Amino acid sequence: MISFRNVDKVYPNGVQGLKNVSLDIEQGEFVAIIGLSGAGKSTLIRTINRMHDITGGTLTVDGVDVSSLKGKQLRRFRRKIGMIFQSFNLVTRSTVIKNVLTSMVPDMPWYKTLLGLYSKQQKIKALEALDKVGILDKAYTRCDQLSGGQQQRVALARTLNQDPTIILADEPVAALDPVTAKMVMGDFKRINEELNITILINIHHVDLALDYASRVIGIRDGEIVYDGPADKVSQDVLDIVYKGKSAPTSKEA
Amino acid sequence: MKKSLFDRIFKPEVITLANGHKVERPRSRMPLIIICLFAVLTISIKLTGFDLMIVIKRLYQLGAILGKIFQPDFSFLPKVIGPLIDTIKMSLLGTIIGCSVALPIAILSSSNINKNKTINFLCKLLLALVRTLPTIIIATMAALIFRLGTFAGTVAITIFTFGVVGKMLFESIETIDMGPFEAMESFGANKFEAFWSACIPQILPTYLSHCLYCFEMNIRAASILGYVGAGGLGLLINERIGWRDYNSLGTVLLVLFIAVVVVDSLSTYFRKKLG
Amino acid sequence: MNDKILEAYNKRPRLAWLYFLVSAIIISLVIYSAQGMAFSGIAEKGSEIAKGMMHGLTHPDKNLLFSTATDGVPYLIFQTIAIAVLGTFFGAILAVPIAFLASENIVGKPIAYITRLLILLIRTIPSLVWALVWIRVTGPGAFCGVVTQSICSIGMISKMYITAIEDLDTRILESLDAAGCNAFEKIWCGILPQLYANFISAAIYRFDINMKDATTLGIVGAGGIGASLLQCINSRRWAMVGSFLLGLIVLVMIIEMISGKIRKKLTTGE
Repeated sequence: MISFRNVDKVYPNGVQGLKNVSLDIEQGEFVAIIGLSGAGKSTLIRTINRMHDITGGTLTVDGVDVSSLKGKQLRRFRRKIGMIFQSFNLVTRSTVIKNVLTSMVPDMPWYKTLLGLYSKQQKIKALEALDKVGILDKAYTRCDQLSGGQQQRVALARTLNQDPTIILADEPVAALDPVTAKMVMGDFKRINEELNITILINIHHVDLALDYASRVIGIRDGEIVYDGPADKVSQDVLDIVYKGKSAPTSKEA
Repeated sequence: MKKSLFDRIFKPEVITLANGHKVERPRSRMPLIIICLFAVLTISIKLTGFDLMIVIKRLYQLGAILGKIFQPDFSFLPKVIGPLIDTIKMSLLGTIIGCSVALPIAILSSSNINKNKTINFLCKLLLALVRTLPTIIIATMAALIFRLGTFAGTVAITIFTFGVVGKMLFESIETIDMGPFEAMESFGANKFEAFWSACIPQILPTYLSHCLYCFEMNIRAASILGYVGAGGLGLLINERIGWRDYNSLGTVLLVLFIAVVVVDSLSTYFRKKLG
Repeated sequence: MNDKILEAYNKRPRLAWLYFLVSAIIISLVIYSAQGMAFSGIAEKGSEIAKGMMHGLTHPDKNLLFSTATDGVPYLIFQTIAIAVLGTFFGAILAVPIAFLASENIVGKPIAYITRLLILLIRTIPSLVWALVWIRVTGPGAFCGVVTQSICSIGMISKMYITAIEDLDTRILESLDAAGCNAFEKIWCGILPQLYANFISAAIYRFDINMKDATTLGIVGAGGIGASLLQCINSRRWAMVGSFLLGLIVLVMIIEMISGKIRKKLTTGE
């Protein structure tokens, strides 16, 4: 369970990323976070695995206070949390399987990392992860020869390969065309249902968010202005999130 | 946009369109550039004593020498092979050592990987300093310290390679995609693991390509080092020119030419494979 | 399903032997080259000389460094710059026709091939040899340096020109055709604007190299700072060596900085 309690985030340059955010996310939820660019969506997601530090309040994941973690503890903690990026962040010159295998590097002794020696067991596991996202046949292709959608699936397989309990996805479909975007969202949905992995997804496309997520969080200027089931999102809610109408006095959920 | 000094001195021409809109057209800098270039050329001609007439009048001299060079004396061939192998050995060893030393320094010089500004600056400075020294001067000094011979040549080539590859490499490293590095950190890798698994695969092909390119250059460079006593083909070139034996010089140059072409095509082939 | 994965696993490319082979080749090459390397140890006075060099570099001859005479550092530096300027200028001009004659999209394959062979010939003869040959024409001095560099610059500059010419965007010619332009107008408005920034950029790049090369040429008597530098090294006047080297380092660094800025401006427009 991820729980935010009065979390604040102020960047060194004075910009307020998050303002007094409190929310709970249960294991196995599929949450979409919507809002304008710069509203704090990315900040919210990146505080969970501490790619960004919070400056106030407490943030706990499965009972662990995230801001208390240091060095090795933090890295071990991050092993449980997968992350997907808008730009895929793959080593495009390497083959698909090599990219998937990189997510096992932190568990390997240094000399094996240095020489790139992966065991048969690890290779099989990586292939299984590729099979789960349906691109097993591309395993030995170089990533730069794949389409955007396929590359995002490689990234997804890389994340699955680390057996996460939570997947954070930062605009995973923003660089994809509408059809591919739907397919990737479908992958997320399936993983969420089959493996009971919590998924938090930042997304610009409201339609996709409503179609696939079970819960929607609307964020504006670092504050949560809507938090509720996807099927309760009405035009009024969207106006509040995107056009800055004043928020209702009582929040839902 | 801030106006440059030039635009403030020579006010831009204002063109008024039929519909009353105004467009500012900056004055052309061309006349200024041409005047400067002309001045620089005139001064340069004065300083160097350049005289086109002498070149034209005495060009036949060059023709005579070139004519002899293009009639190589093949009986001289056996004497060329030894120094050629020396030259190749010098460049090979110098390239390999120079490239190995260049890799860590180039990584430390890349501002996207090494966040320590002082070390970063010092490494960049070192690379810049090394590149200012002409190879032949390094070879001369090395020959004084280590005695004449191929070792001095290898030292010079190593230092030259270090400077060139180091610079090309850090410039390529600074343009790599740091996304995979961020991804590695997000799933719990430490900085070294992230660098090794996410950045090295991006750097490696470029690095090898730079090394091969530098080897190409080094064959040429090594061939003249003998002039200051650092071994290899240069020794022969110097000797033959001294004796005005241009036919044998032609042989040496022909051998060098073939070696360069072979190395160039090999290296181009492998670099294409790497790209 | 497990079969499918095992099958994929078995299809993995086996590159280990290739890596092994490449490493083996490189290691044996190193051993082979190192063998003939006869490290004869440091020369008798080697360490003394090294010390002298270090001392000279840290205690340069200040009189020489700021003297205005014709054997002082400033004059020689300006002469070196002058050699490089003229050499690059003539080389850049001579390279234009050669580059066009070597571009496949302009003259067709056979002529381009022959011209390229000529370029390769020019490039292979080391600049030092060119200088030694030209000395017979011009006599020793800076003049010889200029002529040598004019010829030596052709190789690299024309190679860079050719790249620019072969990358020409020819679609623009179609639109000029459509606008009713004649051949001259097409070259003037369609081709030259695409090329001149690249051409100037290539020349400036070569200027950088010529600056360093001009020093080298001095060694065979082609003027500039190199001749005096080598003399001082051979007579072991380290303080003078120090001041020459300092002058050279400052010069090359300044030139590199300026030319880098100009080239960036030319290629990106900023």
